[in-house]
Amino acid sequence: MKRTKDKTETYTRFGMMRCFLSGSWYIFAAGMIFAVLVSFLSMVEPRLITFVVDSVISDKAPQLPGFALSWLEAAGGVGMLRARPWMIAALIMSVALLAGLCRYLFRSLNGLAAETFIKEMRDRLFYKIEHLPYAWHGANSTGDIIQRCTSDVETIKVFVSEQLTGLIRVVVLIVLSVIFMAQIDPKMTLIASIFIPVVVGYSLFFYSRIASAFEKADEEEGRLSAIAQENLTGVRVVRAFGREMYERERFEKQNAYYTGFWIHLIKILTINWVVGDLMTGLQYILVIVMGSVFCVRGQITAGQFIAFVYYNTMLVWPVRSLGRVVSEMSKAGISLDRLRYIMNAEDEPQVEKEPEEGAVWQTLGAAAAGSAAPPDICFEHVSFSYPGSPKQVIRDVSLTIPAGTTLGILGPTGAGKSTLMYLLERLYPLEEGGGRITLGGRDIREIPVSELRGTIGMMQQESFLFSRSLKDNIAIAADDAGMDAVEAACLTADLLDTAQRFPSGFETFVGERGVTLSGGQKQRTAIAQTLIRECPVMIFDDALSAVDAETDERIRAALRERTDGATVIFIAHRVSTLQQADNIIVFEKGRITQQGTHEELLAQDGMYSRIYRLQTQEIT
Amino acid sequence: MDDYSPREKISLPFFGIPKLFPFLKPYRATIAIMVFMGFLSSLIDSIYPMFNRYALDHFVGSMTLQGMGPFLVIYFLILAFQCVINYRSMFGAGKVEMSVDRDLRNAAFNHLQTLSFSYFNQNSVGYVHARVMSDTGKIGEAVSWRMMDCVWNGAYILFAIIIMLIIDFKLALWILLLMAAAVVLITLFQRKLVNLNRHIRELNSTITGDFNEGIVGARSIKLLGIEDKMQKEFEEDTEKMRRVSVHTARVNAFLISAVAMMSSAALAIVLWQGQGLTRDAVLKIGTLSVFMSYALGMIEPLQTIIQNISVFIAIQVNIERLTRLLAEPADVADTPEVTQKYGDSFHPKKENWEELKGDVTFEDVTFRYPDGEEYIMEHFDLHVPAGTNVAIVGETGAGKSTLVSLVCRFYEPTKGRVLIDGRDARERSQLWLHSNLGYVLQTPHLFSGSVRDNLRYGKSDASDEEIMEALRMVRADGIVERMGGLDAEVGEGGSSLSTGEKQLLSIARALLADPALLVLDEATSSIDTLTEKALQDAIAVVTKGRTAFVIAHRLSTITGADIILVVDDGKIVEHGTHAGLMKEKGKYYALYTKQFRQETTADALG
Repeated sequence: MKRTKDKTETYTRFGMMRCFLSGSWYIFAAGMIFAVLVSFLSMVEPRLITFVVDSVISDKAPQLPGFALSWLEAAGGVGMLRARPWMIAALIMSVALLAGLCRYLFRSLNGLAAETFIKEMRDRLFYKIEHLPYAWHGANSTGDIIQRCTSDVETIKVFVSEQLTGLIRVVVLIVLSVIFMAQIDPKMTLIASIFIPVVVGYSLFFYSRIASAFEKADEEEGRLSAIAQENLTGVRVVRAFGREMYERERFEKQNAYYTGFWIHLIKILTINWVVGDLMTGLQYILVIVMGSVFCVRGQITAGQFIAFVYYNTMLVWPVRSLGRVVSEMSKAGISLDRLRYIMNAEDEPQVEKEPEEGAVWQTLGAAAAGSAAPPDICFEHVSFSYPGSPKQVIRDVSLTIPAGTTLGILGPTGAGKSTLMYLLERLYPLEEGGGRITLGGRDIREIPVSELRGTIGMMQQESFLFSRSLKDNIAIAADDAGMDAVEAACLTADLLDTAQRFPSGFETFVGERGVTLSGGQKQRTAIAQTLIRECPVMIFDDALSAVDAETDERIRAALRERTDGATVIFIAHRVSTLQQADNIIVFEKGRITQQGTHEELLAQDGMYSRIYRLQTQEIT
Repeated sequence: MDDYSPREKISLPFFGIPKLFPFLKPYRATIAIMVFMGFLSSLIDSIYPMFNRYALDHFVGSMTLQGMGPFLVIYFLILAFQCVINYRSMFGAGKVEMSVDRDLRNAAFNHLQTLSFSYFNQNSVGYVHARVMSDTGKIGEAVSWRMMDCVWNGAYILFAIIIMLIIDFKLALWILLLMAAAVVLITLFQRKLVNLNRHIRELNSTITGDFNEGIVGARSIKLLGIEDKMQKEFEEDTEKMRRVSVHTARVNAFLISAVAMMSSAALAIVLWQGQGLTRDAVLKIGTLSVFMSYALGMIEPLQTIIQNISVFIAIQVNIERLTRLLAEPADVADTPEVTQKYGDSFHPKKENWEELKGDVTFEDVTFRYPDGEEYIMEHFDLHVPAGTNVAIVGETGAGKSTLVSLVCRFYEPTKGRVLIDGRDARERSQLWLHSNLGYVLQTPHLFSGSVRDNLRYGKSDASDEEIMEALRMVRADGIVERMGGLDAEVGEGGSSLSTGEKQLLSIARALLADPALLVLDEATSSIDTLTEKALQDAIAVVTKGRTAFVIAHRLSTITGADIILVVDDGKIVEHGTHAGLMKEKGKYYALYTKQFRQETTADALG
């Protein structure tokens, strides 16, 4: 099995948009075609009004495009319409129906595209996050990443599906209106559209100026919210020190400031709206006055005059919103960069380096399936410090764990026991010159991570429950495990009784949004979760610290029976947990300080025998 | 994160607005003015088409420009007048919104300061926080902008209908018929959309939860090798979201298209019915154009009003929750007589406060939590003379904090009395007791702000020298120095400090307050040996010469206590001195032996 080293793509802003839009751009495009059709059809309505007013009601010669004129003649001319007035309604309704259909198609397609687009973003982000090296997760705060994956994603969706499409629609609408108006009368068109650049320019200026005030308002709200949050989480301290009055003053002061700031902001916004109203109103007056003048001079007809007013009404709101939309679009760039930060991070490689040419190894995949013997594990002069920290956590550790044996590790908190196991699982890669770890003679850097972690099952010190049923938590890494397997694993982990006592049994929903399990129940769930995977190598990191000694003994006896033939590593503080291991190491400050069987270590004067005595002595 | 109770349905008279009257009252003048202005503005809006009519019928109809000057001036004046009115009503709405928001937030926050611990135990911080910060905002918006939307659009529709009826009754009836159809259709769809949007919000929080799990559980996911499985399940959730959202978009698209088509239908009706009338000279062209304007501009305001009604329906839940919070009675409250003499939490009468000596007596106390079924304490008697150190020990969750909660009067006995200096605790105000109390929590809580602000929490006028002295006494001066002095920020919840350090600072805070009564809950989370030694010393310093209740997790620290109370399963099972209890070989002996092993192991390992 040969794998090439995965290459992480580096996206530019444009490149990333292209990647996110890969499954939806054509839907957006199709939607836009209908959007343009809607704009076009909405231009027809005023022309129909002009026709009815001028040629049906008055007696002017119809001013229609050639094809429409010939239709009209063929159908019997204007006289026919006067005889059957419902046909006017039918005509308008058929245009309206067509426009309605196009509008529906545009909105639906745009919605479909937007949702396909946001799904693509979410899925890609989630995939990326799951495949980033663990060190990346340690270096970034959860809240920040979630913020990026939710609100920044939303901002970009709105940018594409509402702001960008909205911008295109408004521009198309303006252009079409100007063209249609120009066909009636160019001079009048100039008068009717003179306010467009003024209104757009004004609102663009206004909204870009006020953007910082909105940000400040958000910050002040955050501050107020934080005061309330702190007061509620610290309610016991507030009461115990009798500081209700102080808290009240603090909150009311910030509340008054925040409110005052918003009222000030609303004042500015109101002035802006009113200025907008005034400009729009003046535009109306201009159209009506000049329209009358042009009519009186005979340059346009009454019907055309009405059409001009109509076009003007149609343009007011889109034009007024244009400035705001454009000024808000700048936010999308920032959000896109915040997503690029995640998408451009380096993936965790499947293999750190290529196996040497000609080297043929039995794939661990077979071993993982339980059909082969577990491999020997060998640490060779392993040293390690966490990324960005100068402190060495593991110092020159050499250790062999023969296949099928049990290793016990004893050591103080912070000695690096868990880190050593993380290195074995390649949660952190070994640096160059940091020694090497082999599995069945193969350097773990050459083993694909999925294979490596499928071979070595590790139960962590701090177990994590997923938001799902207890059964699904246990069987999470064993897809094909049936209820029998779950129950068997629970029996060994001493969880069966507990699980069956829950009102909904194994279907009890646990995790963040479910039932809270006690520390011991969580640990035993994690043990069952590890056991059910039937890995050839199993690590139990401080697995039984939250259960009492008797349960500990019971679980271990069951484990011994079940894990027969597998390589097992125990990390523990209780000597009784470790004493039956084939080999026991004492681990202090990143080093192995003692090694041997229980009897051998007892015979030595060291930490192991000291702790053994402490844990077994009688206290008076 | 916004929390919402799924499908909480509430129906109140007038959407629950009457419950808000006390908060609207101060702004009734502003509200009256803005509603009036709103009417006026809509009236002007409905008059504008008349200018159009005049232009068509007079100027165009008679082919004259005579009267253009006055026409222009009147038109402009009305426009300018409307702008002034709009400014008044919009700014008024904004001011009412923010002011009502502010008052509601203050009221909620201040009321929370008087509520008892049982309230906070029953309601999560997130839930209460949402009441203070998000319900208030929604309500403020509803009583200002949403209401004004209804006024503006409702008045416009009303005036337009009246004018249409006056101009041509029959044509107006046609439009009304169409509007009735529009109301039915929009209401139907709006209801559907509200439900769909709720579903979308639920799915949205599921997806956020998925991201959270994928990030917080990253190590487990990697070690279990279940990246693909997680991805598959995530994609199932996003697909569900996509399907529901696309469906919603379609319903929305249909509604928008239908509304636009109805406007066109109104136009069609006007031209169909109107052209004959106009041709027969019953109607003038200008009048026809007025009808066209009204007909076209009628459906959208209808839609806005219906949307706002659904907002008002939704807001009832928020009003109900907030008013429920404001009406929540405090389980522990001072009697009117006590308040009269000693003042309340916000208006203390310190001149009447007696000195607290620290003599505490439990007299036949029986207790169960207000939300609990079981009696935690029955007929309990205990006398703690001033200056006595009491240690309370027992397994986690055994109920050690109940006893101190009664001393602090965070709860009151169900039966019996707690006496402070020989008088029932209820005879004096809570603030009096709490002002004489020092409290160090197991999970120490520091507020965002400087070290100085935090230490002054117990004594607001403490000088820097006093603060430094207190810090030195508990040997926390080194920590503060390393942080960069008293001005250093501790960060929200003291996030820049370790638990041990936070605990040291909170002991210094209690020491600075120099209380007659001290309650101390030892830290359980693992702290390094050096800090632990410092903590033990600090506890010894701070408890010396005071009545102190120490909830102990490390038994080795309290062997010197005057009285040790052993709590098991919520009941006090043994009490005495360390030596006496060890001799009894009971619960305390068992606990001590077990802990001694663990501790010595930890010591040896450390």
